[in-house]
Amino acid sequence: MNYALGESSSDERGLKMRSGLFGLVLALVATLFFMPTASAQTGQQTAAAKAAAAKTQPFDPHDLSGVWWRRGKSGSTLSRNDVPPMTPWAQAKYSANKPGIGRADRVVPLGNDPMMACDPVGFPRISFYDAYPSEIIQVPSRVLVFFDYFYAHRTIWTDGRELPKDPDPTWYGVSVGKWEGDTLVVETVGFNDRTWIDDDGHPHSEDMRVEERYRRVDHDTIELNMTIIDPKAYTKPWVGETKTWKLDPKMELREDVCVPSDEAKYKEEMRVPAATPAGK
Amino acid sequence: MKGSLIRSLMTVASLFAFSAPILAHHGSRVSYDLSKQLTMKGVVTEYQYQNPHIYIMYDVKDESGNVVHWGAETNSPVVQARFGWDRHTLKPGDEITVTVNPAKVGAARGYLAKLVTADGKVTELGRPEN
Repeated sequence: MNYALGESSSDERGLKMRSGLFGLVLALVATLFFMPTASAQTGQQTAAAKAAAAKTQPFDPHDLSGVWWRRGKSGSTLSRNDVPPMTPWAQAKYSANKPGIGRADRVVPLGNDPMMACDPVGFPRISFYDAYPSEIIQVPSRVLVFFDYFYAHRTIWTDGRELPKDPDPTWYGVSVGKWEGDTLVVETVGFNDRTWIDDDGHPHSEDMRVEERYRRVDHDTIELNMTIIDPKAYTKPWVGETKTWKLDPKMELREDVCVPSDEAKYKEEMRVPAATPAGK
Repeated sequence: MKGSLIRSLMTVASLFAFSAPILAHHGSRVSYDLSKQLTMKGVVTEYQYQNPHIYIMYDVKDESGNVVHWGAETNSPVVQARFGWDRHTLKPGDEITVTVNPAKVGAARGYLAKLVTADGKVTELGRPEN
């Protein structure tokens, strides 16, 4: 019953206006309104019921459409544990990269993170931000992923094409995907080496290849496993932790554009003064 | 002078187990002491509802009448819009009570932890990290 009330008050609002059901819902809402304790308990139960319902709610495992929140215990990186050893080439770049956010032992007040100049965040870094949702739209020939953060998008071609042999370097790469059972396997190549892999400043080369495996495990959940293969930078593949994407049907993407002139004003009025001792 | 002013403004400067706010990009959170809070009254001179972070510039007057120009920043408009903020949230001339995590180096800048507007509306910004 609690579950039914929750559904009627959200996803199905306006669809089921049959008077009998509507009257029942009204009566229930009125009852709960005058019973604060019961209402609080019902709220908790509804959330639990919703999670339980996601396990049994029907879904198409080959349909990843929707607005999703990205979740992962390592935050904005592939994984904090098991980062493979870097080559000397990558180690030198890593030492030169000065993050403004991320690991406490790496972060400095005024760093050189490329995004602090509004450079594109690039892929895969754009995939990791959990304070910003992303939206997947599927059409027959491709999967489009739109990112709230930095107003960015990727195209994953699912029309059977091969990866290009000698792609021009780009910020977000060239992606092709194919279904292996219920898993969408995506391969991406064609990067420039100007982006960081994560907030911590992990570098990559133009030869980086990224493999993603998306699997919709229930109505509300996609699991994503990502691996970075870049022998010029890492001595073995970097196998990320399993990331979880959670469906949020009511969420809408907004416009989060990084504007160089606004960034310059912010830097002058906030970032630099905040790091400058008083009186200097 | 600024040091004594700041001390006089320090109505709350306690050790907090302060939840890490979102401040997702553009590397400034590291500049603020998240273990301290400082509360002050001021008048808005500028409300920047824009990327990369929303920030408020405001004037704070001490007992001697000296005015210090402060700045407090929070998340991006996209994040704060989901918590009900918009371009009308503040305007120059508004009287506000601001609680910030102050800059570690003592500059008149802070990370916004709480905002109380003249109408008594309270916005808490110490949310747990998602």
